[in-house]
Amino acid sequence: MFFGSKTGRFLILDFRFWILDLKNSSYKLTVLLSLVVMAALACHPVDVPSPVVETREVRDDLGRVVYVPVKIERAISLAPSLTEMIFAVGAGDRLVGVTTYCNYPAETAAIEKVGDTQTPNIEKIIALRPQVIFISTASQLEAFSKTLGEQGIAVYVTNPKTLDGVLENLRQMGDLFETSDIARKKVIDLEGRVSIVWNEFQRFGDPRPSPRPPKVFLQISRDPLFTIGNESFLTELIEKAGGDSVTSNVATAYPKISKETALALKPDVILLSDSEDNTGPSDVFKDSPAVKNGRVYKINADIISRPGPRLVDALEEIAKDLRSKN
Amino acid sequence: MLIAALVIAVSIGSERLAFFDLSDTQRSILFDIRLPRVLLGACVGASLAAAGASLQALLRNPLAEPYLLGVSNGAALGTMLAFVFFEQFFFARPLFALAGAGLATFTVYQMARSRAGMNVERLVLSGVIVTTFLSSIIVLFTSLLDAARLRGFTFWLLGDLSQATMSGFYLTLGASVLGTIVLRSQARPLNLMMIGERDAMDFGVEVGRVRLIVFGIASLLVGTSVAASGSVGYVGLIVPHLVRLSVGSDNRLVVPLSAIAGAIFVVLADTVARTVIAPRELPVGAITALIGAPLFIYLLRRN
Repeated sequence: MFFGSKTGRFLILDFRFWILDLKNSSYKLTVLLSLVVMAALACHPVDVPSPVVETREVRDDLGRVVYVPVKIERAISLAPSLTEMIFAVGAGDRLVGVTTYCNYPAETAAIEKVGDTQTPNIEKIIALRPQVIFISTASQLEAFSKTLGEQGIAVYVTNPKTLDGVLENLRQMGDLFETSDIARKKVIDLEGRVSIVWNEFQRFGDPRPSPRPPKVFLQISRDPLFTIGNESFLTELIEKAGGDSVTSNVATAYPKISKETALALKPDVILLSDSEDNTGPSDVFKDSPAVKNGRVYKINADIISRPGPRLVDALEEIAKDLRSKN
Repeated sequence: MLIAALVIAVSIGSERLAFFDLSDTQRSILFDIRLPRVLLGACVGASLAAAGASLQALLRNPLAEPYLLGVSNGAALGTMLAFVFFEQFFFARPLFALAGAGLATFTVYQMARSRAGMNVERLVLSGVIVTTFLSSIIVLFTSLLDAARLRGFTFWLLGDLSQATMSGFYLTLGASVLGTIVLRSQARPLNLMMIGERDAMDFGVEVGRVRLIVFGIASLLVGTSVAASGSVGYVGLIVPHLVRLSVGSDNRLVVPLSAIAGAIFVVLADTVARTVIAPRELPVGAITALIGAPLFIYLLRRN
């Protein structure tokens, strides 16, 4: 059984090359060569018959064509946001592996952990025999997904950049797991909540001339000072909540910003992503309207750092904070 | 030249300031943020360069550098422990950094010592071993501890002056001035020791004592600068080399001039780090390494 399996074959071949190459004595070359050989072999069909699974063609967020089983029975999520999405569309019971960061909903506690988002354990992943692996480009690496592809495991990449993108991903998940009805209901529910926030924001904006939207600084960590930039979905989320991110024109998603610049920004509201290294606003804000008027609010780091269904919770909370006059 | 560098550094930043008509915000930017950072950069540069210059003389090895000998990594590990266990005490970081630097130096020194006396190759090798060992402990810590809590720390490891405060500056200033003066006082025995330790002993130099002082002061200088700004690399290597190229190898000149040139080097490098992708920032260590490494290769080939 062992030698008939894919991994068994590779081990034997790998070992043979290893011995051959020891004569050439270049250790690195040996490793590289055996990897190349393994990769080359992986491209060829192996004579072990794999169970025939009917697949269909889908496109993921990167525009890649992915062949997924028509009926997905075993999936692994490598991002907390994706785990939350899969549960939200009612397919949580088909997750056979998640990351150590996946802590919501509570059912995730019982699912096998395959490592964290940056360094998942590939052996464990393969051992769990998933059909599809979901990854988010926000945190994951190309080389890794290539290895999985070579193992005959479909890799589906999501990359939502906006709240609408998250809702679109939910619909896609519904299609993939054939739970479209649940997904559609979930999306309608979330859209309803988004429009309530939007309507209240409109009301809040009246009577004209409307007050300018509050200037918001979202502090991710205090020292060094990290914030959100133009590529973060949070910049859009703050806008949707009725605010105006003061760092919306800074390049990249999560820039470390110069303290001089931050001091000159003078935000009206400071939002703190709640974590151990971010318990209060940076000293550079001590003369800002936000600190003077006590308008500094903490938000659960899990809900604002994950582009998943709970992003709407974050939206509601930010909207509430922006509207509260202290 | 140092003054010119300081003036340039203070007048350039991610925010443009009207120097003759400062608003409250601009005053705050200038005095609370930019000035402490520039001054701290100068002290860190002076400390690292002076420490590098005297270690090179002491060990008669042009490659001797706080980083190569593990002194910086000792300080970094010390700072990290202080950061994890005694975050609230202001003095914990420099004290632990000093202890870490001292311990690393002591370990390297003990490892390198043999019955035949001090072997220079052995010392450098011991330094490399201690450096890699300490790096792996640091990596172990960052992997084991909560990622969010140490996120700032990993950035700081690359050399980061953005956390500069006036109090941090005073401490580093005190250390760099005191350290440079003490090292300068050892310049004459160091000159003799450069000829050879035995010859120096014949001239009445207490070799052991000089060694202890130089190691101790170098640990102090490196410890305080690492605690304030992380590991700013290549300063202790490049600056003394350039100074020696222009004034020769008399340590009475090399040590103080290295301190001044080191200050200029770090201040200018940090000005680049602050402004090149403004309003974002680069760690200053990246800039010093970017300038330092090619320059070092050039120097190595020329000699």
